[in-house]
Amino acid sequence: MPIEPPAAECGPPIPLWRWADRQLRELAAITGSQAIAALNGLTVIGERGSVRDFEIRGRRSAGVGGSFLNPTRDGSWFALTIMRAEDRAYLPALFGKPGMEEASEEEIAAEILLNDSADLLEKGRALGLPVACADEVPASPPVEVLARGAHRFREPGHRPLVVDMSAIWAGPLCGHLLWLAGAQVIKVESSKRPDMIRSSDPQTFAIVNQGKDCVDVDMADPEQRDRLVALIRRADIVLESSRPRALRHLGIDAEQLVREIPGLVWLSITGHGATGDAANWVGVGNDCAVAGGLSRALAEATGEIGYVGDALADPLTGITAALEGWRAYQAGQAVRLGFSMSAIAAKALAEERAFGRAALDAELRAWGAARGKLFPKVPRRAGLAEVRDLGADTEKWLGKTAAC
Amino acid sequence: MKPGTRLKSAACDTEVMVIRTAGGTIECGGAPMAEVKPAEAAALSPDHSNGSLMGKRYVDADNTYELLCVKPGKGSLSVDGVALVTKDAKPLPASD
Repeated sequence: MPIEPPAAECGPPIPLWRWADRQLRELAAITGSQAIAALNGLTVIGERGSVRDFEIRGRRSAGVGGSFLNPTRDGSWFALTIMRAEDRAYLPALFGKPGMEEASEEEIAAEILLNDSADLLEKGRALGLPVACADEVPASPPVEVLARGAHRFREPGHRPLVVDMSAIWAGPLCGHLLWLAGAQVIKVESSKRPDMIRSSDPQTFAIVNQGKDCVDVDMADPEQRDRLVALIRRADIVLESSRPRALRHLGIDAEQLVREIPGLVWLSITGHGATGDAANWVGVGNDCAVAGGLSRALAEATGEIGYVGDALADPLTGITAALEGWRAYQAGQAVRLGFSMSAIAAKALAEERAFGRAALDAELRAWGAARGKLFPKVPRRAGLAEVRDLGADTEKWLGKTAAC
Repeated sequence: MKPGTRLKSAACDTEVMVIRTAGGTIECGGAPMAEVKPAEAAALSPDHSNGSLMGKRYVDADNTYELLCVKPGKGSLSVDGVALVTKDAKPLPASD
């Protein structure tokens, strides 16, 4: 589908949109979905920034709060994301300096310049902060087989059942693409901590969660957790974006379930990988894009570093997980696949460079020159189905909970 | 002691990163922790041997002290003999 030329005050297409587009063509081919065939890459990676009127801000990520890039003592760049006010409590430990809880961005930048990137990365990751360095090498492969189980035969025409426990953008986008491909998708949220964008970004929430049945679960209640596990046992595909340790603490053993249930496809989306030290690291879309080398690529093309797109590792990962998840479902063998957002960003960059280096560099230069402009406008997709309230379908899928 | 300092247990494998501290003695397994492991291991006190859990944050009742466990071990954490408890799990977005 041709891309409409952007309006004057809007920025150029987000670099890597062509890569996203090629993955969507592949997904449309293997699923036979007309709805996916009608999507284009720029829409999927750009619709959040478009609908929210995000501005291109160079060394600061788009949207509220977010991530900022600052130079380090050793000549690299460090991306720090302060997502939650309580994360500020860890700034003194990150910089080894009391009183940093209330520090301004200028004071934080001054401390970053006193430190080497490797030390900041090591400490920040131990502290559970989403941090990245522009020159790091992703710790994990983009897609990793974590466990395998037995085969299951599904009748042709079987409608796959997807249990989507993920939140925010990457995972829900994957669930959305599977829904467009014809799957029945059940979105599972914690009763106490629903998907935060349900309230903070209802427009994006509606795009990627339309048509999903919505179930809520109090994970602290063993009976409700057991009902969720019973639902998982009926599923074809499970999708989650928890840290592996958090999942185990909740009493859900993904690998055991994959070994037990023939054909179960389990997709685990992580910032930096699902095994080893990296499994404990937190990562979100903007810092994972930095860790995948996208900001360094912008600096190489333009001489000036900055964020590329809006949380670009998220949609690149959502598309990749849908593609790999559908392939695994078609193959019929139970498998748990781990996705690393930083490594997927690096892979997309490497593949796009191989595909058309000159075109990509031209897009990066245009992106770098567009600071202060709005994100490119992409056509707003029409809603195709209802957006369900939190827990609207809990009884339908988990049954009645015992009366108190 | 500066926030961000790493301390090692004298009695087990536990290691922590100091998030917040005051003037008290930070202990593990009943023995004071230090930046360097002693040549001779201290005995693990049976009163302080409930173990430490990787990635858990440990606080005192007043929230004056906070330690992040970066390596688990058999000893449990205390300050001046008073056991620390794990901080209630805060929201953990792995990825968005």
